[in-house]
Amino acid sequence: MKVIKIDKKDWADGLAKLSGGYRLFGPVKDKEFHNFKELDNGELPDFDFSNTKLSAKSMVFPQAEAMFKYSLDENEADHHIMKEAEKDYSPRAAIGIRPCDAAAFLLVKKNFDTPEYKDPYWINAYEASVFVGLACNNPCSTCFCTSAGCGPFHEDGLDVLLADAGDYFLAKVITDKGEKLLQAAGWNTEADAGEDQIETLKKEAEAKITASVNTDGLKDKITTELYDAPFWEDVAFACLNCGTCTYVCPTCWCFDIQDETHGTSGIRMKTWDSCMYPLFTLHGSGHNPRGTKVHRVRQRFMHKLKYYVDKYGDGIQCVGCGRCIRLCPVNIDIRKVCELMNSYEPADAACQVA
Amino acid sequence: MVGYTDKIREISERLLKEGTVDMVIGFRQGSMPMMNEPCFAKRPEDVEKLTWDSNCGINLANYLTDRKEKIGVIAKGCDSRNIVTHIIENKIKRDQLVIIGVPCKGMIDRRKITSMFETEILSVAEEDGKVIVKTGDAEKILEKEEVLQKNCAVCIHRNPVIYDELAADLVEEQKDIDRYADIREIEAMSPEDKWNYFDDLLSACVRCYACRNACPLCYCPTCFVDESQPQWVGKTTDPIDTKTFHFLRAYHCAGRCTDCGACERACPVGINMRTLTKKLEKDCFEYYGWEAGLTLDARPPLDAYKPDDPEDFIK
Amino acid sequence: MGIEPGRLHFSWVSSAEATKFIEVVNEVTEAVRALGPHDNFVKHMPKVA
Ligand code: SF4
Ligand code: SF4
Ligand code: SF4
Ligand code: SF4
Repeated sequence: MKVIKIDKKDWADGLAKLSGGYRLFGPVKDKEFHNFKELDNGELPDFDFSNTKLSAKSMVFPQAEAMFKYSLDENEADHHIMKEAEKDYSPRAAIGIRPCDAAAFLLVKKNFDTPEYKDPYWINAYEASVFVGLACNNPCSTCFCTSAGCGPFHEDGLDVLLADAGDYFLAKVITDKGEKLLQAAGWNTEADAGEDQIETLKKEAEAKITASVNTDGLKDKITTELYDAPFWEDVAFACLNCGTCTYVCPTCWCFDIQDETHGTSGIRMKTWDSCMYPLFTLHGSGHNPRGTKVHRVRQRFMHKLKYYVDKYGDGIQCVGCGRCIRLCPVNIDIRKVCELMNSYEPADAACQVA
Repeated sequence: MVGYTDKIREISERLLKEGTVDMVIGFRQGSMPMMNEPCFAKRPEDVEKLTWDSNCGINLANYLTDRKEKIGVIAKGCDSRNIVTHIIENKIKRDQLVIIGVPCKGMIDRRKITSMFETEILSVAEEDGKVIVKTGDAEKILEKEEVLQKNCAVCIHRNPVIYDELAADLVEEQKDIDRYADIREIEAMSPEDKWNYFDDLLSACVRCYACRNACPLCYCPTCFVDESQPQWVGKTTDPIDTKTFHFLRAYHCAGRCTDCGACERACPVGINMRTLTKKLEKDCFEYYGWEAGLTLDARPPLDAYKPDDPEDFIK
Repeated sequence: MGIEPGRLHFSWVSSAEATKFIEVVNEVTEAVRALGPHDNFVKHMPKVA
């Protein structure tokens, strides 16, 4: 595969050229931390970060997004009719998305883009996007991507992979979309032995990953036995049900639908929701099938580490970015829970409890 | 801190063995530097996991709400004050509790420490008032006094106000502390500057409500922001909705907030929403001479009428 | 929190003090009118993507 060398002095120029044809998104520093946002005109993405606080999912799946608009003004011809909200699906490019976040889009796609059901908002935004990934030379101690089907130089889900090599970037072309973007930016010098250089950096980065999870046992566990395992009360005890773990997660896809009316005009929106919230499953009758915190915590982990595993057969619903570990206010750690689930044997547990 | 941990384990083991309590609520060692996880021990052998150091900033009173068991609970100064408030508000009964008081020497501010280093912090240890921080390529020794959580630096109730057992000798309380310098700065602003200040303060809020959920005072079965009939507050991160949530929540905590700092500590995006509750805490102190959770014998000022309550604002 | 102090008034009016009530209401309305509209808390359509 082709590898292009981008001198850092040509970086800003190239991005300026791109901003003509693409809406640019990237990591920017927002007070004390980085977030993934649409760049202002002329703003450069800031690559001095380990990973953004919130994932890059909002580029395609914003926290709140308009679906329909309506008017209640009877003088208007189309009052009381839901109309599609205007959208900007012109090409957009993520500059410096981490490989885990990009891989997460492929995973989430299984939910939003199925033969049976298609979410046009997600699909249109996704298809308008080009993903230029920034490989991680220095992963954090909480990254366990290499054991979650991903990695610091992982390419699935990316169109271009950038590796920082000091004075220049190496840009590995992965798809045609990526190639077109590099051309539009005027970056076209092929690197000498680019693939080998990337391979060396990749080995170095992978060697720095210290955290891992075992997931090999999950698919053979019996769902109801895991569900009834005795460790859930202990796992869930500290949880505040704040949903931070799901909001920051690139692979959490749940949403709610909300209407807001102001005067005679209104809007119907898709907003992030979370299985950690009591409202998530509250029935109109007042009954809540996931009425306690233990139910809700169990749901999060069972979904990611068992139901998903069984339904799609391609690993866990997690790319190992470690955000939920870093940001949980009470230190509930998915690596620990995964270990408990993966090694659970009902017989031993029965002895322990007795 | 080793002494504290040993004593906590010893007391907890005794209480569980005697059957005085069904469970002890405390902290266990976290999986990351400067993080501990609230946990329970139900069997005498489980007490081995209990620990104590300067990373126990989560308020354990929050884990008592409406529980039915007999509970041993580890309580630093602010936790004990929130336990008092819980008892007054019927969220737990005094005779269900064995309070294991921890004379507190302050919690450390993990955000402040993190921001002092360029690279990721890999370990943090404590020794004699010093905090030893290691990153991949450096080690630095900090004075604990200088990296205290903001609320701990101005705390004047480090000793538990109510307890049945003590994990250590009482500590000397901090004196001559200016507790409200930050609040006075905001009070001095013009209305417009105040508005802009809060606008900026709350701009990063993602409406996860970790602040509310970490707070022992916020135990309403359905919070006003979660009501849907009628829906008082919108669900997006619209700045007006976000402010409505924060301002109203702060008022709900007036006269009850102990400035324990759990809310600020829990926020994933580092918002200091404590400035709001602290202003009301200051007003309660200045108008009514009231500090929350110091006694079981009086109700909070906004909950009770006294003939000598100040009323010069009524015209 | 960014609201001018002049917008908030407290008074004690007994149900027998109709005249005082009228006075207070007039005073308050005038005082608030003099300050002009306060739009900070007016919510518009949420800004969403
Ligand atoms: S971030 Fe932690 S406390 Fe919050 S809901 Fe997730 S697991 Fe629970
Ligand atoms: S579950 Fe946690 S580690 Fe896995 S992708 Fe989500 S935030 Fe990252
Ligand atoms: S509002 Fe914050 S500081 Fe006050 S009691 Fe609640 S958590 Fe503690
Ligand atoms: S914890 Fe932080 S982000 Fe979450 S609602 Fe509170 S202030 Fe907002």
